[in-house]
Amino acid sequence: MSLLNLLRFISLRHMRLQKAQTFMAVSGICLGVAAIVSIGIINNSILFSFEDSINKVTGKAVLQITGAQSGFPEELLEKVQGVTGVEYAVPIIDTHGILVGGKEESLMILGIDVLIDHQIRSYSLSEDNSDIPDPLLFLAKPDSILITNRFAEREKIKLEQKINIQTVQGIKTLKVRGLLNPEGPAKAMDGNIAIMDIYAAQMAFGKEGRIDRIDVSILKGETIESVKKRIEDALPKGYNVDTPEGRTKQVEILLSTFQRNINLISFIAVFVGMYLIYNAVSIAVVHRKKEIGILRAIGTKRGQIIRLFLSETLVIAVIGSSLGIGFGIFLAKSLVSVFGQVVSEIYMRTSVNEISISYDHLIKGFFAGIITSIIAAMFPAISSSRITPISAIRSVPFSEDGFFTKKKLGIASIFFVVCAVCLFLQYKLTENNSYFHSSLGVFVATLFILIGLSLATPAFLKAYLLFFRRFIASKMGSSGKLAGLNLQKNINRNAVAAAAVFYGISVFVSTAGFMYSAKMSVMRFIDNAVKAEILITSGHPLATTGSKNIPMPLDMLKEVEKIPGVLQADPFRKLYVSYNNRRTLLLNIDVARRLSYSSFMVVSGEEKNLSNILSNKDNVLINEGFALKNNIKPGDSIVLPTPNGQVSFGVAAIIVEYTSDIGSILMDIHTYQRYWKERLADTIAVRVKDKKNSEAVRKAIQDKFGNDRKLFVLLASEFKKEIRKIIDQVFVFNYMLNVITLTIASLGIIVTLLASVLERTREIGILRAIGMLKKQVSQVVVLESMLLGLAGGTLGCVAGIVNGWMTLDGFYRSDFGASAQYFIPYASIIWAIIISGLLSAIAGIYPARRAAKTNIVEALAYE
Amino acid sequence: MNRFYMTLFFLFFLSTNVWAINGREVQEKVVEVRVKALTRKADVGMVLFDKTGKRTRTLNEYSKKTGDNAYKVLVMFKTPPDLEDVGFLIHARSFSDRDLWAYFPEYKRIRRIPNTSQDDSFFGSDFSYDDFGGPPNIDDYSFKIIKEEEFDGKPSYVLEVTPKIRRKYTRYIAWVAKDLWIYIKIEYYQDDTLYRTGSFKDIRTITGIPTPFKLEMENKKTNHRTELTLENIVYNPELSDDMFTQKTLQKGVK
Repeated sequence: MSLLNLLRFISLRHMRLQKAQTFMAVSGICLGVAAIVSIGIINNSILFSFEDSINKVTGKAVLQITGAQSGFPEELLEKVQGVTGVEYAVPIIDTHGILVGGKEESLMILGIDVLIDHQIRSYSLSEDNSDIPDPLLFLAKPDSILITNRFAEREKIKLEQKINIQTVQGIKTLKVRGLLNPEGPAKAMDGNIAIMDIYAAQMAFGKEGRIDRIDVSILKGETIESVKKRIEDALPKGYNVDTPEGRTKQVEILLSTFQRNINLISFIAVFVGMYLIYNAVSIAVVHRKKEIGILRAIGTKRGQIIRLFLSETLVIAVIGSSLGIGFGIFLAKSLVSVFGQVVSEIYMRTSVNEISISYDHLIKGFFAGIITSIIAAMFPAISSSRITPISAIRSVPFSEDGFFTKKKLGIASIFFVVCAVCLFLQYKLTENNSYFHSSLGVFVATLFILIGLSLATPAFLKAYLLFFRRFIASKMGSSGKLAGLNLQKNINRNAVAAAAVFYGISVFVSTAGFMYSAKMSVMRFIDNAVKAEILITSGHPLATTGSKNIPMPLDMLKEVEKIPGVLQADPFRKLYVSYNNRRTLLLNIDVARRLSYSSFMVVSGEEKNLSNILSNKDNVLINEGFALKNNIKPGDSIVLPTPNGQVSFGVAAIIVEYTSDIGSILMDIHTYQRYWKERLADTIAVRVKDKKNSEAVRKAIQDKFGNDRKLFVLLASEFKKEIRKIIDQVFVFNYMLNVITLTIASLGIIVTLLASVLERTREIGILRAIGMLKKQVSQVVVLESMLLGLAGGTLGCVAGIVNGWMTLDGFYRSDFGASAQYFIPYASIIWAIIISGLLSAIAGIYPARRAAKTNIVEALAYE
Repeated sequence: MNRFYMTLFFLFFLSTNVWAINGREVQEKVVEVRVKALTRKADVGMVLFDKTGKRTRTLNEYSKKTGDNAYKVLVMFKTPPDLEDVGFLIHARSFSDRDLWAYFPEYKRIRRIPNTSQDDSFFGSDFSYDDFGGPPNIDDYSFKIIKEEEFDGKPSYVLEVTPKIRRKYTRYIAWVAKDLWIYIKIEYYQDDTLYRTGSFKDIRTITGIPTPFKLEMENKKTNHRTELTLENIVYNPELSDDMFTQKTLQKGVK
């Protein structure tokens, strides 16, 4: 019989008859592929949005010069313009403001030299791609602003209308002197872009004499590299001369931790899906044992049987993967704006409303679904070929013929666990920059733990059932006794169902543990760092520069301190600097003031006298993540780019600091002001004389500044609540993964129990014949399901705790430092046990109904 | 046979010497007139027309020949009040080398206009910064007479001018009045697309210099149109060198 005939007459018939089983296998693959595809598309869309914005805003510029994020002196422009090979060098103010009133939308504001900028960007203020009634008025009046047609429509703004924009210098009233059609930069950021003349932008945003960027185009015949080198030679050290592609790369580095986190999730989802396929094919092999025996008896070769099962899997995988692609695109569409918002609030301003689908992701997802399904089906398919015609006809239990004998399972289990331990030890014992010290190693170790412990499920289930039968079953009456006995009859097959729950719960518990530990570590740090009662910010409380935050002038401090009830107001300024061509967060605080009421959590280095060492001195503190990534120890020096060139700073100590996952440097604000020539603060921490008056002081602050600028005046408790919210947002995909894995686990249980019920048709018939009620049969099946779920759940919790701890070490500690502690998520574990029992009980309802409906006469004739 | 050769010779003569003057020579005569007009002062009325209506502004223009092929120009806006004291200054060391600056009082700073922007809009009008400067450097262009025709009642040479240097336009066609040696019409092309046309009307001769009192420029892409009307024009007045400085640009002409 040819393979096609086997498929046509046997497999297709089987798929038709076992609709539920086929549906669940397809669903498993579909969910796994959907996770890969949606995460891939979301990742791509976020990066594409950055790249697209950079390209649209970049125009013809092939090089971009950036310095410290606070800007650099505009005199440098002439130097660049004079470099041989430079065609045009145009200055840019790249900032943002928030529209006060309306939908409070954030606007990217580009300050450009209107007189020359059209040489670089593809718009002209006097051409027909804009509607600017009077270009001269736009130039002559510092209150002029151009907005896009799209933004104007959304916010119902008309030409010549005055709008209020929140800027560094408070709320500014600007006049819309033109509307830009969606061309060039006006297409970026979904139209949330406004253009001002550079000098107007400097005045409005407190950047007089400074620019944020210089965009450069080069003459024909010149190479980018040679002009880049000449510009670098012409400028003081510390300026970054990069191509727009290089800037996109910087964004990729900035988002790498976030993306790594969600990529990891997609792999786990596929792994769980893979398990479901293994489960489904195993069950099919068990269920069709007799059929395989007959096929073997009539001359079908072992290879043909293997190919038959693999071909069946291929058909299911193609259907599942195709559906998965569609579902993945749907998921990506639904979630992309949520992720865009998270990235915008935490990392960098972006506007992602559209998904960017690349065929790579779809093909990757499709083939991942097919390949993993084939791999997953390989073992049960091979084991199916070992069924001998005689054993099939004599109904010898399949497990005896199985590929995975108890001994083999035990050896494989130990092998994987030992491998996991070795990989993890290797990670722990090697240096940070070593090849073996990689997050991938830790990921593989967690995977091996999952595989190793899942292979131990039969042994665990055996012990668990022994315990159940000895101590619990007797108290549950005949249903309990029967359920225990039934499960014990085919440990290996039932272990497959328990293992499905095991995977779901272990991922749930490890994610919960990882998230709980990260949250606890951050909150512990925040409790230590935030001793003030009130925090004033003008953007998102956690936003870094570049996202939705608009700094406040430092002069506000004195004004705040004049408010009755205020004891002290401390500034906090954060911005990105480039260290070793990587973005790093520079945090600036008044060290002496901070130390007067709170200490730093020093990990190594100077602990005492930090006030003297840091205050207005060229010394800094660094966080563990930064120290680890750059292999820096206390006493070393780091060279940072400042607007006045490169400056070397001594590292006084390494501290616990969780503000950023890209590493952070803490500097005294007076040192910062000395080098950066900037007097701004992102947050003002206010301590009050009497804590009872916090609310009154907060109101007084709002009343004093509320008219001039839009501020978030938060009580410390509200601020901490915001942080918790943000952490939850970061882990939103992890929650989604939990739902997917638990769904797959439930499907696994249903498939296994259905097969079990079908196989025991005769047995159930006999029980019914000797007087067992339908309700009792149902109870037994549901109880079996629940017992399997609880077994898998318990083992899953163990694996979840181990994996959560390892994940924290491999991912979180490498970014934030070793001081992050693992906290066992007790509440989540209790929930996990409840969920595993409950879900399994629910999953058992359908098979239970089928069992209860068994026709006694037909069942007795079955065999 | 002889007649045949005579005809051929006559046709050959015609093809090489159709006009007694060539394109470059026409332009040299145009430049000669424009150089005579370099030192002058005038009040200028500017009216901008677009789909929403018209806007009027007035400005004072001062220019001075400061050497062979060198000159300076100062333009100060007088009305409307929003634009009062907005100014524009040119220092031309030669017809091909000049510096341009603009001044906006509310910013209190002088801004340099790059030479590459010489073809850009002069403060939102349909004229360019270059239109307010002196004559072009003849060597930077090639000139060809493409025909002779009467325009606006005046017999004219129709000159095709192709820049050898980078300009916003790829060529322009100018109608040069034969008796006056001034442009009376101009058409700017980007490749084969006409994007700007100008006409120079109400030509009067002031102290021997033919002067168009009404200048009109239209942008064919945007359908914007700008009219300039000259008043109180005085050639060769006494203008101090101090008048053409950045200081005057900032403080205005007293």
